[in-house]
Amino acid sequence: MARDPKYDILFEPIQLGPKTMKNRFYQIPHCNGFGSEKPLSQAYFRAMKAEGGYGACCTEYCSISPESDDTHRVSARLWDDEDVKNLSVMCEMLHEHGALAAAELWYGGPHAPCMESRSVPRGPSQIPSDFEYLTYAKEMDKDDIREVQQLYVDAAIRAREAGFDIVYVYGSHSYLPQQFLTPYYNKRTDEYGGSFENRARFWRETIEQVREAVGDDTAIAVRMSCDMFMGDAGTQLERDCLPFVELCDEIVDVWDINVSGISEWGEDATPSRFYPSGRLLPWQEAVKKVAKKPVLGVGRFTSPDLMVDAINSGKLDIIATCRPSISDPFLPKKIDEGRLDDIRECIGCNICISRWEIGGPPVICTQNATAGEEYRRGWHPEKFDTAENADNDVLVVGAGPAGMECAMILGKRGMRRVHLVEVADDMGGIMRWIPQLPGLGEWARVVNYRKIQIDKLRNVEFIPGTTLDANGVKEYGAEIVVIATGGYWVGDGLNGCTHDTIPGADASQPWCLTPEQIMRDGKDVPGARVVVIDNDGYFMGVSLAEKLASEGKKVTLMTHLGHIAPYMHFTLEAPNQHRKLHKLGVDIVTSHMPSRIEQGAVVATHVFDEDGHEQTWEADAVVLVTQRRSNEALYRELKDSVGFDTLRGEGITACYRIGDCEAPRLIADCVFSGHRLAREIDSENPEVPKPFIRERRVIERELAAV
Amino acid sequence: MKIVVCVKQVAVLGDEVEFTDDARDVDPDFLDASLNEWDSYATEEALRIRENAGSDGDEIVVVSVGDGDVEPAMRRCLAMGADRATRIDHSGSRDPITIARLLAPVVNAESPDLVFCGVQSSDAVQAATGTALAELLDLARVAVVTRIELDTGARRATVHRELEGGLVDVTEVDTPALLTIQTGINQPRYATLRAIKQAEQEPIQVVAAGEEGEPAYRVRRMFAPPKGEGAELLDGSAADIARRIAGIVQERLK
Repeated sequence: MARDPKYDILFEPIQLGPKTMKNRFYQIPHCNGFGSEKPLSQAYFRAMKAEGGYGACCTEYCSISPESDDTHRVSARLWDDEDVKNLSVMCEMLHEHGALAAAELWYGGPHAPCMESRSVPRGPSQIPSDFEYLTYAKEMDKDDIREVQQLYVDAAIRAREAGFDIVYVYGSHSYLPQQFLTPYYNKRTDEYGGSFENRARFWRETIEQVREAVGDDTAIAVRMSCDMFMGDAGTQLERDCLPFVELCDEIVDVWDINVSGISEWGEDATPSRFYPSGRLLPWQEAVKKVAKKPVLGVGRFTSPDLMVDAINSGKLDIIATCRPSISDPFLPKKIDEGRLDDIRECIGCNICISRWEIGGPPVICTQNATAGEEYRRGWHPEKFDTAENADNDVLVVGAGPAGMECAMILGKRGMRRVHLVEVADDMGGIMRWIPQLPGLGEWARVVNYRKIQIDKLRNVEFIPGTTLDANGVKEYGAEIVVIATGGYWVGDGLNGCTHDTIPGADASQPWCLTPEQIMRDGKDVPGARVVVIDNDGYFMGVSLAEKLASEGKKVTLMTHLGHIAPYMHFTLEAPNQHRKLHKLGVDIVTSHMPSRIEQGAVVATHVFDEDGHEQTWEADAVVLVTQRRSNEALYRELKDSVGFDTLRGEGITACYRIGDCEAPRLIADCVFSGHRLAREIDSENPEVPKPFIRERRVIERELAAV
Repeated sequence: MKIVVCVKQVAVLGDEVEFTDDARDVDPDFLDASLNEWDSYATEEALRIRENAGSDGDEIVVVSVGDGDVEPAMRRCLAMGADRATRIDHSGSRDPITIARLLAPVVNAESPDLVFCGVQSSDAVQAATGTALAELLDLARVAVVTRIELDTGARRATVHRELEGGLVDVTEVDTPALLTIQTGINQPRYATLRAIKQAEQEPIQVVAAGEEGEPAYRVRRMFAPPKGEGAELLDGSAADIARRIAGIVQERLK
């Protein structure tokens, strides 16, 4: 199908200094866990987006020196010629697809813990990092300033040598140039501190020097945060950023505009829980009004109409995407080909970002199971080989995230017939009710995308409202059976803290409830006082606390952990979730574990209290968010009662289980589980994942010689 | 008791549509096929009557008109549980009167107690085949049926018909009769993979088409309607937009 002409502007070329970008789709710098040391994973990951139509793709933050070493987190590095070689693969592959390559030159200052290099970072003032514990910088004197600026110049030259078309002098997220600009970090009294001119001096000089070194044939990009949301101490749009744009517009080829500092960068990489697409547009528009150079920026754009509107209304020249490009590397191509309902829209869950925050594992994506798997597993998000056993019929039992993904990929792999059988009257499983939790509406995209795809696949049939027992599965007539019956929140308080049930916990009582009972079954939460017990640590406990508090309950949220929902720190949802719960008056009790529950009360002790003093919280209702278990009854019946041998006698050659039904996990991992099985349905043993390529140095020698 | 269910394999449009060179039909490359939705309800209703009120020797016969390509739809009915299928071999005009003419002798030869047709087909949406067939067979006809209570002994059925505005017409009809079945009368069953596979092995009786006569109409041209002009997008808050719409409606009503 042809592109709708109303989207033509997105496909117009644009000049970035000496370089021409073929369209307006720009993959902003973002991490993936590969850096310079998994160079092929890095190259294949970025190149997939170029293949999908992106006009330019960036590295993640790219360290210019061992004294800006972010280990435990993974950045790219351009420390030496070996790094040049490694990152040159990415540049080459991007160029093959006609995309520009950009390196985001990064110096972290006090935020860089240097855990691998054991170097000492330099910074404008000696105040420990607000992001990384126990990390101090050496306060820079004039010689330090010259030396660090030279590090930028040397890295820019290496970037050009590697093949990069665009080099950044990166400030946003509170890194060194922006630290100089910001009173919060810059307490200097010399000509690099104090007045705007002085605070801007380091950044401007560095841009000048980099431009002098490589600017004749390399575009210079500056990424700047226009509001740190910390009042006078932080960078401010009117006071600092607009004057900086005017000061440096001549020596910059493209402005990359965002907001926030590093310690609350969820204000920039906004979770859908709190912000819709385009949340940064007011700041981007303000810069666009004063800049003569192109302005680009993120906004978690997935809708081409919003993209066009951002350009036509003079807010942006180039649409930068981070998370939507992970969720669907082929976003530009699908818009170009008029295939809007094939776009796998980002849900804004930030599970991708959580991996960087954790410090190192490869990127994952709830929507796109192939993200990060391009090289190591050879998965392409849009291409599917016909399975060698495609003449088989497959029965998938359960249409939650894992079952839907598995049936969809099996359909795309050309299996003769795939029947996706579901107890409920529609697809989605847990994703029918999780998006009804406060703020999680966009998460329903997990279901919507797959529903549309499955509907298009002639070899996949969705069969709702049908319960199959083991005999039903046996008689169904499939050669391959996949059990994806999901999991459930336990009703007896079994938990990962005490590894035991909680005495008195019993969700068959009217005053004791599980998440499904509240969200799916509509069980009434009695009374005014509710205690939510959260031993899970992710979104479920806090979401239910928020929901019930918004409905007027007096909610106590109790966890054995030191913080509520610690995983939401990694997804950048924590700060605003704390604010919400605080505003709603939710009483937060950390480091407490219930010793027993009775009607009307939860009795708990502090987890570090060796004497076990008990304290009582009155409660008309108790919500148990203690742990999940697999719905494995059907699988156990098939394996243990009927037996796989009997199934083989019925022509069922294989029976697998995926997702929560095997073990409860993240939604992203459920989708991955279904995808992985479908990708490997014709492997020697589909139950066991095929080995993936591990990029590592292997020592070639005779073992006997050790 | 014997029930004949007349079914159609309908064309399903994808995202894109192109027409054949003579502009008289949709290019088949842009079409998928499936069993007409109304006919799946008709088949299900026949199966339910047999299950609830039937006796040994009851038979459900599926009849369709077309070339070999329409057999998958018939096999879907067999997989649901129909007993046998007859295809009237034909590849000419598909107008409902021609189809009814071709169906009539074959259905008549079955001497059915009931004949079911879907109210309409999802691709042509003529809603005429069933009525025309009843006329040719000289059978009583009840259209848009949403409920059937069958008294086999009295050879009579009490039938609910759906009328405009949510009204229901309850009527009695002596059998044999022809009923056109509305969606929602039941929830059609899904065929298991085993039933689908078994249905693939079942023979479909193919009979030659009789005299088709003059078609009731001929397609002269198919085309996408030209895009309308003058659409106005309203911006603003919900209340603003509502006020503007109210104003526009009042203006047009003058």
